[in-house]
Amino acid sequence: MAKVSIQLSGISKRFDHTVKGEVYAVRDVNLAVAEGELLTLLGPSGCGKSTTLRMIAGFEEPDEGTISIDGKDVTHVLPNRRGIGFVFQNYALFPHLSVYENVAYALRVQGKDEASIKRAVTDVLGVVGLANYERQQPHQMSGGEQQRVALARAVVFQPKVLLFDEPLSNLDAKLRVEMREQIRALQKRIGITTVYVTHDQEEAMAISDRIAVMERGQIVQDGTAPDLYYRPNTEFVARFIGRTNLLDGRVVSANEVEIEDQRVSLSTRRPVGSTVRLVVRPEMIDLAAAGEGEAGTGRVLQRTFLGEKTDYDIQFGNTKIQACRSDAFRGAAFEIGASVRLSFDPANIHLLA
Amino acid sequence: MAAPSSDSWRRVARDPVLLSAILAVWILLALFVVFPLVELLARAFVDEGKVTLGPLLEIVSNAGHRIALANSLFLATSVGLAGTALGFLFAFTAVRSGLGRHWLTALDAVVLLPLVSPPFTTSISIIFSFGPKGFISHDLLGLGNVSPYGFWSTALAETLTYFPIAYLTLRPILAAIDPNLEEMAFSLGGSRGRIFRTVTVPLAVPGFANAFLLLFAASLADFATPLILGGNGFPVLPTEAYLQITGLFDFKGGAALSLVLLVPAAFVFFLQRYWVGRRTYVTVTGKVGQRSRTRALAPWAGVLLVAGCFAVTALIAYFYGLLVYASLVVAFGANNSFTLAHYHVIFTEGLPAIRDTLIIAAIGMPLGGFYGVLVGYLIARKNFPGRRAMELVAMINYALPGTIVGIGYLIAFNDPPIALTGGAMIIVACYVFRYSPTGIRATVALLQQIDRSLEEASSSLGAGSGETFRRVTLPLIASAFFAGLGVVFIRSMTAISATIFLVSISWTLITVRILENMTELALGPAAAFSVFVIVVVFIVVAALSAVLARFRAPTAGGAARSFLGG
Repeated sequence: MAKVSIQLSGISKRFDHTVKGEVYAVRDVNLAVAEGELLTLLGPSGCGKSTTLRMIAGFEEPDEGTISIDGKDVTHVLPNRRGIGFVFQNYALFPHLSVYENVAYALRVQGKDEASIKRAVTDVLGVVGLANYERQQPHQMSGGEQQRVALARAVVFQPKVLLFDEPLSNLDAKLRVEMREQIRALQKRIGITTVYVTHDQEEAMAISDRIAVMERGQIVQDGTAPDLYYRPNTEFVARFIGRTNLLDGRVVSANEVEIEDQRVSLSTRRPVGSTVRLVVRPEMIDLAAAGEGEAGTGRVLQRTFLGEKTDYDIQFGNTKIQACRSDAFRGAAFEIGASVRLSFDPANIHLLA
Repeated sequence: MAAPSSDSWRRVARDPVLLSAILAVWILLALFVVFPLVELLARAFVDEGKVTLGPLLEIVSNAGHRIALANSLFLATSVGLAGTALGFLFAFTAVRSGLGRHWLTALDAVVLLPLVSPPFTTSISIIFSFGPKGFISHDLLGLGNVSPYGFWSTALAETLTYFPIAYLTLRPILAAIDPNLEEMAFSLGGSRGRIFRTVTVPLAVPGFANAFLLLFAASLADFATPLILGGNGFPVLPTEAYLQITGLFDFKGGAALSLVLLVPAAFVFFLQRYWVGRRTYVTVTGKVGQRSRTRALAPWAGVLLVAGCFAVTALIAYFYGLLVYASLVVAFGANNSFTLAHYHVIFTEGLPAIRDTLIIAAIGMPLGGFYGVLVGYLIARKNFPGRRAMELVAMINYALPGTIVGIGYLIAFNDPPIALTGGAMIIVACYVFRYSPTGIRATVALLQQIDRSLEEASSSLGAGSGETFRRVTLPLIASAFFAGLGVVFIRSMTAISATIFLVSISWTLITVRILENMTELALGPAAAFSVFVIVVVFIVVAALSAVLARFRAPTAGGAARSFLGG
């Protein structure tokens, strides 16, 4: 692994809850972010991801544990001494300052001379594609433009670390995709260590080098997007990342697992006869036309045409299964009520611990 | 989400700017709020090193003082009821009668006039109208020897002076009642009168209670009006305390008397804050149903409301017109020929008072504005131990009747270690700590609408707490700053209840001169002084409003409300 840039060691944060008493917002989180890496904290709302991010920024202080940046303990260092760029969900642009002055803010605080401020601001506004917006006021701009100003403002003073707190959640779907590509491109270009918080798993998978999934204040798994998708540690991760079928199977031999009455070749060291939980993604199930009542078949309950693919809900024995199929090259779709044969792709089916 | 307090201690300790700001505010509060109050209590209740209730018992056993207490409470209740009714009439008319915008603006201006006037203005006009040579009593009605003094004139003057408070309290509440609710009831077959009784009034009940309590407190604390109009027959507590000190030089008795006032004042304050505060049915959501102009009001009722408002407005306009007229004639009632002599008097003999007042106002204004913004910022934004206590202590001088504050200052700063009596600074300090809470509240309210992330952004960009305050927070709360300035200025020009104890030979105030003129029956100069104050206040308020308009998006209520505070 490359040099560690951000190191969280056993950090916890408690809050006084009016009803539940003292509750942990973040509990014993350990995390290392390598230099130049973009790590995403992913989880549902209230899982502690934003609190973790705010502790890295210094807006909150952990009750336990330490935070270090580039090997220096910053646990009790005020935010203005940490050298961290922060991009807020609501942009947090200063409403009384122009775009130029917003971006120049950190440089003015540092007491830079006017000429170098002008150079740096012009440069960074060019990078985010707002070259001629210097004189505008924030409220005259669209949400996407405002967020680009916020991004420029956060990187202009060459911080050591860049933090994003759900930066795209106030934008519409199409703009979100555009913006995340821009953020990723910029991050790679300047090679800055970045922690990114989102609840949107697709956004996380698109943008990250690595994703840490959080649940109830703790990190439950961290890894690359394919790691999390194909080899989730827990049911929570399996459900949170992508769509999934969680199927109960029975080990019939060292190489075979039985789902309902269908055998799938899958090597496992679990004892023969034990039950296992399998993570089967919809696209890992292939569908073919079958005769009524044959073994290994199911019945189509619901069909949803989505253009590039069609989703099916299938009654398979006692379980309901989600499957999907691209109709291109494959011929007609299956009608509701039709009998279909299911075949599982053994290569990617994952056994939960 | 509140951070644990161990955390906040550490944070404060590591932030030198914040730490020194908090310490500075506490030192000021200790010196100018807590210390005078403690001294006052000590003077009243400590005798030769022993705590005693003697002075208090003396007051209660004194029949004259018991009457003063009863009078105070009776007057406050009457003014509370009458003022709330009048405030409701105006608020309801403004919200529901469908008057045009220009009419409403004119109505607003006349209604708010009493709030920015020096005390005595209504009193002077009442004497001019109802005195032995009064315009109404003598000239119109041909009555001979009538006395304008006593309960009725005092109650009338106070009601006209303070009902705008009720108007300002009730109007937003009535405006926030969705007319759809009333129309709904209308469509269900309720009669208009029934809807008014069963929908409108119940929704406004917290507003009524609040308005009544505010008026009650204002009347209880009012010193100027009863001093002029009460006469011998209607003594009240603030005037009794004043006479005890200035007439008999009995500081102990005056202190004890003023503290009797504290009991109902404190009771009303807590009632208003903790009981009424939690009973608001109407909330401003920003989402209001279609504003159809209100068939819930019968046409004849609308006419009646408007007529009532215009009658009261006409009375106020008449009083102020009379004031201007009286300032321009030789001797009102006796010799009505035109003269500028009274203005000549106030700009020659009266010049020291004018100069002193303007100097004091000019010093107090920036100090009060800055102090209000600083304390409001600390309270709304910073998490430090003792924050709630600071909020409460900062409000004390504002909530206390002026008589208590004035006597407290007089006692506390008369002798070393801090002898300020006789100077200008004691008057400035009195105004700053008594009238800045309006600025504090305005700042807190404004900051609650400004997202915290702006300050966090500044912090992450390298600015310390002092720099963040200067570069981000201060520009954003500029409007609260100017509102704070305005209030301190207006009150510096018009207040008397506290500062009458603090003036000296070297530093005096216009309001005190007006009082002196009145007791010498030099009503012409008193009227001229009053007109002068009103004009100056008007100009400054207009200038500040123009500045304010540049700083914020137009909001309901306009600038006037921010100057008058809650």
